[in-house]
Parts: sequence; structure tokens; C-alpha cells
Amino acid sequence: MTEPAAAPPRPEAPPPAALPEGSRDVLAVEAGELTVIERALSGVFDRFGYREVRTPVLELAAVLDRAQEGGLGQVFRLFDDRGRVLVMRPDLTIPASRLIATRMADHPGPVRVSYLSRAFRPPPAGRAAAAEQLQAGLELVGPGGPAADAEALAALVEGLRASGLGDFGVAIADVSLTQAVLDGARVPGEAQAELRRALAERDFVAWRRIAEVLRPPGPAGELLADLPALRGPGALERVAAAVPAAEAACARLGRVLELLAVHGAIDPVMVDLGVLRDWPYYSGVVFEAYAPGAGAPIAMGGRYDGLAARFGRPRPAVGFAIALDLLHRAVVAAGASDRGARPGVVLVGGLEEEVAAAAAARVAGLAVIAVPDEPGWGEALAAADGWRYVARRDGAGYLVHDRLRGVTVACDRLEEALTSAT
Amino acid sequence: MPLGALFEGSVDALERAGLDVAPLREAGRRLVVGGGNGTTFITTRPSDVPTYVESGAADLGIVGKDVLRERTPDVYELLDLEFGECRMVYATPEGEDPTPAAIEHLGAVRVATKYPVSAIEHFTATGRQVEVVKVNGSVELAPLVGLSHGIVDLVATGRTLRENGLVERERIFDSSARLVANRVSHKLKAAQVDRLVDSLRSPRP
Repeated sequence: MTEPAAAPPRPEAPPPAALPEGSRDVLAVEAGELTVIERALSGVFDRFGYREVRTPVLELAAVLDRAQEGGLGQVFRLFDDRGRVLVMRPDLTIPASRLIATRMADHPGPVRVSYLSRAFRPPPAGRAAAAEQLQAGLELVGPGGPAADAEALAALVEGLRASGLGDFGVAIADVSLTQAVLDGARVPGEAQAELRRALAERDFVAWRRIAEVLRPPGPAGELLADLPALRGPGALERVAAAVPAAEAACARLGRVLELLAVHGAIDPVMVDLGVLRDWPYYSGVVFEAYAPGAGAPIAMGGRYDGLAARFGRPRPAVGFAIALDLLHRAVVAAGASDRGARPGVVLVGGLEEEVAAAAAARVAGLAVIAVPDEPGWGEALAAADGWRYVARRDGAGYLVHDRLRGVTVACDRLEEALTSAT
Repeated sequence: MPLGALFEGSVDALERAGLDVAPLREAGRRLVVGGGNGTTFITTRPSDVPTYVESGAADLGIVGKDVLRERTPDVYELLDLEFGECRMVYATPEGEDPTPAAIEHLGAVRVATKYPVSAIEHFTATGRQVEVVKVNGSVELAPLVGLSHGIVDLVATGRTLRENGLVERERIFDSSARLVANRVSHKLKAAQVDRLVDSLRSPRP
């Protein structure tokens, strides 16, 4: 007789609090603060005439892979029941471009769409990066000039202002300008590719080394080594003076800045030729927004005139995406998030005996949180969830305790006490 | 500020650039030291410098290129500070190089290293299979006791290699101290960053 085979060891079940790397829950306080920011942003996008669109989380890999030369890179991929490869959208610019090029191909333009959705990227090993990113952004498709760039940037600046950030900066560069300098300095194609790679890796040491080996003759040569470090007032003038071939590109970027001043959005904006990245993807302006408290850019955007053509309907396009988690972090760091008690009233007995009073107060526009009429319930809930008032029946009226001020007032109807207390 | 081999050079470089580094010299075991003009110095192990800078806990950092190659942090690499020069090398015991035989008979060469990313990158780029064994110290020991055929390690003078009977076979890349900046600090504190970069770059006496 043989021993019964031992059951294979079961992998230890993860504790119930476990989540995949890069995923996390958002609890009520954070979600509430995020909602405030989302509303502020969409209010601004609305006032510029951008209309919200929604695209699916799952897309066909074969379609989205068209967007970039080397495919999408690091994305979550899965299979459908027919064996086709699906991707979870890794950003929103590409799906929005697909939507505009296909569903809105006949739109007379300019097309203005906004979005507020999640994008998904596998977090790199050993880094605390989110796998899921909530992004708010917009796309302006049709016009290709500096005026369109300026509008997109103005909407970004106004959106960040509306979100409660005081201190932030926006750095702007232009692919076509840097390209014009390289061409004007007669940098050979192979060296251009190396320079692009150095810039994409933000490695100014490598850039300088390559530029110093090339050492093109004349003022263009001197400028080349410094190019990614050029920024601030005077940067455009310096480039245009050294490389005549780049004059037109400098004038174009200068026009964007002029228009931004008219928009009233120039203050946080600075020219910085070191922000370039993803060269083949962008075709014109490239920009990033920064705020204290967030270690990475809170928003990124630019002009990608070649993208729509990849989905069959060539049209110039400019847009940006704001990373709401990072923006929220910056808003919290700036102390702009509301930390006070929320103006709701916890009504003892509101679940049963006081339903009529609760309903009347809600009609008057108050948040009424109903709890059973049992000892301790009202205060405990108000403390746990941060509600400002606790009310209970007192004869014909109510006693309303204001937890913020530590006072209790008597009144006939709930609404009265709250309006008098504030 | 990287503790260890690059510390002295970093302090000297900052001093030449005009920063008040006296508090840093007298820091002892304190990890956070206030300097003049609103500067705060944070000292940490070199391999943690990119982490602090990438997250924005530090605006700027000084770190060896070897660490940057290994960790590929998302930071600006602004300046080669031209000290702490050394090279990443592949070394095996003296005598006949065991590498070709290992690859011919075993398909792969076994390499011990503290720098697995750099080691894998180097052998992959040269078309050879490699089994990397990650160790945390005294890498030279590994080939001597048969843990590996060779090592990939950082070498300044080559003395440690020689003393342990190892020979440099391949140079992988040159390293030196670099100034790196957080992506946000580089923009929001542009004037201060550019001033420091200029004074660190200006010709030394």
C-alpha cells in the first residue's frame, strides 16, 4: 500500500490588505480633495470650450501601437478570447487622438476635447511608481500655429491656478527649434541621434561631450554645447543670433510667449531648452509644469502634428495631461486643501424618528448624516468622518453642537442653526 | 552628499565653488547639516543619492556615474565634476582567461558583481551569455574560491585586483563624480542651480 500523495503546498494567501505593486485605494478625504481639484480643472476646460470625451480602458494593441515608432513600450497587455492582444491604455493622448481622427474625422474643427480618466503603466521594478494614474487633459486639433500652442498653455496655467496652487512653474521648449540649431550647425545625422538620446536621458554631460567632439565652426559651435542648459530671458535671442537657420523657430516660440502674456498666463512660464524629450513623437512646443511638493512634473504636453496621421486623419494637434495625484500632492504641500471639519450635520435619530426633519434639511441644501438614536453614536461618527455638527431632538426643537467652535445652540429647525452658526 | 570615497572630493568641489562647507567638515555623524545661505546638506550612502534626488527630498546630489548607470534614476545629469575617476571593468584570475572556455563549454560565463545591471548590459551588448551572481562586498573573493569565473567591479588604481591575483580583461565604462538635479528643483530653482553649475564649472585655480 502506498502513502496517499501529500497535497501540494499551497502558496501562502496574501493578507487581505495586499494589493498589486503600484496599486492603492483612495479613501474618502483624499477622494474628496481630488474631486475638488477635478471640478476646478473641468471648470476651466469648459470655459475654453473643451468638451469631455471618454475612451475605453481596453484597446487593441495593433491600433495603439501605430502611435509610436517603436510601439508602446511598457504597458499592461492581455489577450481577448480570439487571441488578439489588448492593452490597458498607457496614456490618454493616444486614445484621444484615435477618437478624434476616427469618430470626429468630419468635424469642421478646431476640435477641442478634454478628458479625465485613468492611464495604466506597469511600475518599473524597485520603484514606488503608481501603476494607475488619473489624468486630466485636453487636445486642440486643427490649428497649427503659435496661437493654438498659447491657448493650450493658457488653459494649463489657468487650470493649475484654479486647482489652488500658488507657486508653480511651466518650462517650455520647441523640438523644431532645437532641430533647426542642429541642422544649422550641420550636425551629421548619426551625431544627431546620439544628441537626441542624451537629451531624452537628461544627460547634459553626454550632450556636452558629443558637442565638443563635433565642434562645428563659428558661433553655432559655441552655442551647441550649451544648448540644453539654455533657459530664461534672452535664451531665444542668443540662439537666433548664433544660428540664423533657427531664427524662424525662435520667432515662433517668441510669439507663443507674447500671446501667453495677452492671455494673462505668462507669469509661471519660462523658456528652457532642456525639457525636450521623446523627440520623434513631438513636432513643436514641448512643456512641463512643476510645483513644490511633487518630485516629478505635474503636467506634460506639447505639439504632435504627426500623431493624427497615424490614425488616418492628418491634422495638427497640441495638448497636455495633468497627473492628478502629483497635482494633489502639490496642493496638499501648499496647504491649499481644506483641512477643516466638513459642513454636515450628524442627526441622532435621523435614520428613523427624525426622517422628516432630515429630508427637509436636505431639501434646504444641507448634508444630513443619519444615525440611530443610541448613546454615543452621533459624536463617534462625527469624529471619525470629520462632520462639523451633531444635532439631537430637544423638546419641540433641536440642540445643535458645533464641534469646530465647541458651542451648542438650540433652534426650532435644523437649517436655522446651521445658517446662524456660519 | 555621498559618504565614502567621493565625500572629500565633493566637499572640496563645493568649497571651490564658493559654498560654506565648514559645517559639513564638522558634521561628525550628523546626517543633515545646515550650511550658509539656506543650504542644507544631506549625507547618505552613494547608492541612495539618486533616490533622494529623484524624489525631490534633495534638490541636487553628487554621485558617481557608476551608480547612475546602475540605477538609471530620472534626474538631470548636469556636470562631470572630474574627480573620483575610476572605471568599471571585467576581471578574471591571472593566467589564461577562463571566459572563452566557459562560454564554449558551459554556454555562459559566471560573473560576480555589485553591479548586475552594468554587468548584464555589457555581456549582452557583446553578444555573450552571462550568469550574474549578485554579491554585496569583497567581490574579488568570488573567482578565487570558484563562485564565479570573473568579476565586474569598479577599479580606481587596480591595486585590489593585483593583490588578489586578478587581471583586468575588459574596460566597460569610465566613471567620475557627477552633479545631478531633481527634475522639479532644476526648473523651480533655476537661478540657484545655474549659479552653482557655473561656479562648479569655472576653471579652477
